[in-house]
Amino acid sequence: MEEARRIPRHVDIPGLVRPAGALDERSALLPFRGRWTPRDAAHLLRRAGFGGTPSEIAGVAAMGMERAVDTLMQLPAAEKLAPPGGLFDAVAFLEEHGGLRALRNNEAERLKLFKQIRKGEFRSLLALQQWWLQRMLDGASPLQEKMTFYFHGHFTTASLQKNVTAKMTFDQNQLFRRFALGNLRDLTKAVSSDPAMLLYLDNARNNKTHPNENYARELMELFTLGLGAYSEEDVRQAARAWTGYEVFPLRGVARYNPRKHDDGIKRFLGRTGNFDGNDIVDIIFEQPQCARFWATSLLNAFLYNDPEEGLVSATASLLRANDFELRPVLGTLFRSNAFYSTRAYRALVKSPVEFLVGAHKAVGIARIDPRSRPALRAMGQVLFSPPNVAGWPGGENWLTSDMTIARDNFLAGLVTGRAIEDSWLAKAPTDAHRAADLLSTELLQGDASPAARADVARYLHDNHNRDQRLRGGTYLTLAMPAFTLA
Amino acid sequence: MKRSKFMLGTLGGLALVANPEHVFARALSSTLRPGLPGAENRVFVLINLQGGNDGLNCVVPHGDPLYYRLRPHLAIPAKQVLALDARIGFNPAMRSMKALYDRGMLAVVQGVGYPHPNHSHFRSTEIWQSAAPERYEHTGWLGRYLDEAQIPQSELFAGVSIAQVLPEVMIGNRVDVPAIPHARGYGFVGNRNVPVRRAFNGILGDRALPFTSPYLAHVTEITENAQSGAQELPTLIAGYRTKASYPATALGRSLALAAQIAAKSSGTRVLYVAHGSYDTHVNQQPTQDRLLGELSDALAAFYDDLAEHGNDARVLAMTFSEFGRRIAQNGSAGTDHGEASPLFLVGKAIKGGIYGAYPVLADHDAGNLRYTTDFRSVYATVLERWLGRPATPVLAGDFPMLPMLG
Repeated sequence: MEEARRIPRHVDIPGLVRPAGALDERSALLPFRGRWTPRDAAHLLRRAGFGGTPSEIAGVAAMGMERAVDTLMQLPAAEKLAPPGGLFDAVAFLEEHGGLRALRNNEAERLKLFKQIRKGEFRSLLALQQWWLQRMLDGASPLQEKMTFYFHGHFTTASLQKNVTAKMTFDQNQLFRRFALGNLRDLTKAVSSDPAMLLYLDNARNNKTHPNENYARELMELFTLGLGAYSEEDVRQAARAWTGYEVFPLRGVARYNPRKHDDGIKRFLGRTGNFDGNDIVDIIFEQPQCARFWATSLLNAFLYNDPEEGLVSATASLLRANDFELRPVLGTLFRSNAFYSTRAYRALVKSPVEFLVGAHKAVGIARIDPRSRPALRAMGQVLFSPPNVAGWPGGENWLTSDMTIARDNFLAGLVTGRAIEDSWLAKAPTDAHRAADLLSTELLQGDASPAARADVARYLHDNHNRDQRLRGGTYLTLAMPAFTLA
Repeated sequence: MKRSKFMLGTLGGLALVANPEHVFARALSSTLRPGLPGAENRVFVLINLQGGNDGLNCVVPHGDPLYYRLRPHLAIPAKQVLALDARIGFNPAMRSMKALYDRGMLAVVQGVGYPHPNHSHFRSTEIWQSAAPERYEHTGWLGRYLDEAQIPQSELFAGVSIAQVLPEVMIGNRVDVPAIPHARGYGFVGNRNVPVRRAFNGILGDRALPFTSPYLAHVTEITENAQSGAQELPTLIAGYRTKASYPATALGRSLALAAQIAAKSSGTRVLYVAHGSYDTHVNQQPTQDRLLGELSDALAAFYDDLAEHGNDARVLAMTFSEFGRRIAQNGSAGTDHGEASPLFLVGKAIKGGIYGAYPVLADHDAGNLRYTTDFRSVYATVLERWLGRPATPVLAGDFPMLPMLG
């Protein structure tokens, strides 16, 4: 078998743009010692969470950087979290309807049951989406939810495809939450035998007589190494090592079945042995390219896009030095000069989920709007439904005219049709210029141009209905370019 | 507070300020563009038959006894089939498409597919749209065509998707394609309030911001595009009338809007329309017949409309579906996800007829039809012989052309 190139290729995602200016490589990851302002606090909350309410931003700003980062990184135990109410239980449903035997009954009966199961699953998924958005908005730990969201985009799995149920989706979501600042190698092993992932990438169909290479390939191409760092033969060998897992879809659990496992000798990335799946992950994480791959991914998500070679190397070294533990690595990043540089500021495009949750926070709306699902669909991002196994590409890919219209139409809906008496908006001054300044300060940390503020002030001045003009002013301020950027 | 108390304006009393210079300048410039003679005035309409259209009951092999053996309940009796020849014919619901075929305006390409077929709706749809079966590609072949044709950003309607959400096929790296579900549903609802819109336009105009961002220019530009597109669209299609009788279906409404947008002054090259769902696992016949009837009638009305306005030779329409279905029927009087299936091209410029080879039912791939024409051959033909652009950079490869155009 011909060995493919082993040259690690730069992971190039079109539409990701690096900020202008030069990076000071030597000081990039050193602790930031400059003056830490409320703007920096808001920046930290956008990156390590989903933004902040005006009072959250003020509170975090008052802590100072060190304590703010420490506080954000204190994560509650994820284990005790209960699933959202009414998650569909296929096993209980079938027991109520005559058990598995009912499925062997006549065709019409079987189809009817399946239709009800599908309906129940779909309703559960909607509940799960709403539940997660609400946690992003007011959960105990914004960073824990942000990391869960990051892993959802990285280890993509689509729900309600390939028998992935809402229960499995919740379990996988919890797995990401448990590993929020945990070890990337351990997470990669855990997600590899997670029922939703086993089904989504066909590893549950991978056995010694009929190997299926889908998971082995994506594990390396999309999750840990990137194209070019392994050969086709490595894919085949890794697939053999990963044989033996089964999933019971109704109960939503996985099991390792040694009889389906290929117990032979494998040759993988230059090593030889009777490897199993976890050995494959260990060998992958020994490759220098693995640390570089994760470094690029983390910097793209939390710092800025298309990070410089020097920064990738330094972050990769940090990952290796900490044995792929995320807590010290992200702790360093969130305290670094690079993180608080003007090059990193507003240098990312918000994903629709970040935009939506952030808008709720900025306006001070406590419950996720029930119209969020169609809004997110129009904006191009539905939770648990990534466009493909490569996830959401980000950057300029969020900047199309229909997505822009969808974002602004969501804003228009958000500021309409609900009471604002409880919001900080109700306390806005009557003077149009002072009110426009307040909107710019609280919603955009002042990132509006003087002329745009004047336009909003003119609008406020010309409109005599106080309630209406506050809503219109909020819409206009959030529709400014700054709010689309994280 | 009730919603009625506060509204960000209504459509009433709204004076849409469009920029007539835009439309005029575009009409003028489109006569000056070089390339394949006439190509700059041509429009390509892609119709996505979502869900996997069952090719065997669409273009029916009524001359093949094996078809009747494998589909004892689902096969369409030979005497009902609208025969094209002794071997194949249309589903009886496709009377209007048969009429287009008889007038030489419809081409059937048989057995279209791609290597190593994927049976997932999501992945196979993505493969057809990206035209990249071997890799994950976030752009679509029509998006890449628009990029490659170097259409200026000021051409707001060079590509239009008549859909709620932009499909991958229309996504490019450079050109922005609007998704316009219906003429009234496009635009910023908040800006229907005139004072809000005035202020909104002001916000866009100013760029002296207290921060920099690699995405800032792009955010502003795209918002301006969307804003002017939303303002121009009503002007573009204002006053358009037709005698064509479109069926009162979603597809009928979409194609009626497509005919208006395809009118000469818009500079439109590619349009996208969706129809479905053709995912007929259960009790297939009534669903597929209804859908094929809708498709057929809407296409006929579309070409009546185009002919009425002298556009029928300028507009080429093509269907596709992510896969065909299994050869044998399943246990629920339906069919499961399969592989190769036929597609149709319609237009006055097309050489009507039957292209490609009908897949041999006996020579199946685990119960699936083997493809005989790679879909990228059809795309290459459309790109080179209709849109007048080189196919190789768009499709990342060379594929043999089909002789139905040029």
